[in-house]
Amino acid sequence: MSVQRKILIVEDDKDLVAALQIVLKKHGFEVVAAHDAPGGLARAEAERPDLIVLDVMMPNATEGFHFVWTLRLREDEYFRTVPIIVISAIHQRTELRFYPESADGTYKAGEFLPVQGFIDKPVDPAELVREVQRQLGLARGDER
Amino acid sequence: MCGRCSGSWGLRAVTSGSREALAMPRTGGSLRLGELPAVAEELVARVGWLIRLRWLAVVGVVCFLEISRRVFSLQLALQPLYLTIAALAAYNLILTLVFRRLRHGQRDRAVRAPGRVTRLLLAESTADFAPPAEAFRAALLASVQIAIDLLFLALLLHFSGGIENPFILFFVFHVIVASILLSRPATFFYATLGLVLVSAVALGELLGILPHYPLHEALQAGAYRDPRVVGVELFVLASTLYLSAYLGSAVAGHLWRLAEKARLFETAYQRASESERAKSQYMRKVAHELRGPVGTIQTELKVVLEELAGDISESLRELVERAERRAGEVAQVTLELLMLSRAREAPLEVEMMAVDPAELVTEVVRQLSESAERAGVILRSSIPRRLGTFRADPDGLRQLVRNLLGNAIRYTPGGGQVDVRLARGEGGLRLEVEDTGIGIPPEDLPRVFDEFYRAPNAREISAEGTGLGLAIVKAVAEQHGGRVTIDSTPGRGTLVVADLPLEPVRAKRI
Repeated sequence: MSVQRKILIVEDDKDLVAALQIVLKKHGFEVVAAHDAPGGLARAEAERPDLIVLDVMMPNATEGFHFVWTLRLREDEYFRTVPIIVISAIHQRTELRFYPESADGTYKAGEFLPVQGFIDKPVDPAELVREVQRQLGLARGDER
Repeated sequence: MCGRCSGSWGLRAVTSGSREALAMPRTGGSLRLGELPAVAEELVARVGWLIRLRWLAVVGVVCFLEISRRVFSLQLALQPLYLTIAALAAYNLILTLVFRRLRHGQRDRAVRAPGRVTRLLLAESTADFAPPAEAFRAALLASVQIAIDLLFLALLLHFSGGIENPFILFFVFHVIVASILLSRPATFFYATLGLVLVSAVALGELLGILPHYPLHEALQAGAYRDPRVVGVELFVLASTLYLSAYLGSAVAGHLWRLAEKARLFETAYQRASESERAKSQYMRKVAHELRGPVGTIQTELKVVLEELAGDISESLRELVERAERRAGEVAQVTLELLMLSRAREAPLEVEMMAVDPAELVTEVVRQLSESAERAGVILRSSIPRRLGTFRADPDGLRQLVRNLLGNAIRYTPGGGQVDVRLARGEGGLRLEVEDTGIGIPPEDLPRVFDEFYRAPNAREISAEGTGLGLAIVKAVAEQHGGRVTIDSTPGRGTLVVADLPLEPVRAKRI
């Protein structure tokens, strides 16, 4: 039995937070939540979670991106490495792109935002759990 | 003498009596075939005007001859003059009949690319429109007429004093008429022809090759003292000046009105596309607003279904499963509305990337091969390996391919076949999706690209489908400057062809 892992959810949709909280708690994680980027940063500092689940499209459209960069530019090794899983409805399909243009003019996934994972909205609870476990290096059932 | 003096109101008949050819704004780049005949009709109408003008000329010459004979007692060579006029009248009668056939006969609206002769004859602005055959015939007819008219005027001139005759000025009108009807090179040609004919008459008479028919003995000396001569000279000058003024200003006025109409048209077009954009933006906002809540509902229902919030009874599970399916439908509609509005609004430059269409289509085929297999449909693809990369919006393009292929599979009964072909077409790429499915009834074909429209036989075979798929296909194709055409036979199958004039990207060498 290992230590209970702590997950921070930064998401402005409180109903979604509630649902994700149920899921993650059921899988044995400790969950803390924030509803905007500044709150998320404060929570991250205070709680030092093992992983952050982040919605990039909060009301102020670039808030999530800003959150990531603010975190990653810190001196502290922890902030530069804590795994972030982005949940978003824009990952593949709509307005914003996460990928910069590379030298040969093509786009590759995941090169732009220094995050570890993407999950499309609507969030599939099972997929979220799988991704969280993968990022934390946990085999299924380990977290209990 | 005469020419087509008294026909000064002829042009009015053209400007007000015929349909004016509107200069279509080029924005949007879709000049449809339906608008072409306006140009043809304008030309045909002008040929009609030429014929009417000639009748007036015949009447004018006869009047003038009679007045000079009876009132001014001029001694003219009446016999050859009347013969010439009779020939002119006969010729015009034939033309009237030919023209009537041209106008009411079989309408050949086949659009053909303007050939060299057509381009030479038609004014540039009209040649651009790839005129139908009847426009070409009308131009040819006008052209032949002007040549023959010049010949008749030269004959009349020859029989009434040759170079002495002040009506020599009337050659100007033929040139003006030619400039209105025909192209610039043709106009210069007729100016030259006029000069050659008059020179032939003058030189022929000078060298004694042609006989001289004197206009009047008074012209020989002291003509300025003969009021008849002064009167005729002034009359000819006045009619030349005023007719030129009228012809020129009428044409200019016509052009101004056309320009004004074009401007109004453009404004209306802009307003329409602005409102179209506003509609699309509104659609996007609504869809966007719906998306968040629907996504959360979906997640919450999944949490319930996976019993992460506690065990649920069978009946509750069934109920929640139904709710989840319905939430999925709402999510799908909002997603498709977003894609549609994006394709309609997004300036393409923003979305453009280097895309390998062969790879993209192959990927979609792979993704959909499973559902094809499930439906018992054979999915075959013919995709060249080395097509190269093109500038395109990959997400939009993927959606286009997915929607076309998805439709083909969905509406093809088991045992059927779906073929996907990708090839370099004229000026870009051509994607063809052909199926042996249920087809689209002809009466539904014009509406299949409308938002939310689903043909009744499609609804019958599948409850799924938002009716937005083909609207997205069309929007994406148009965003890329392309177009989509559908050919379908109910019960036999459907062929969808998407022509995408994509710009190739040259591989950067580093």
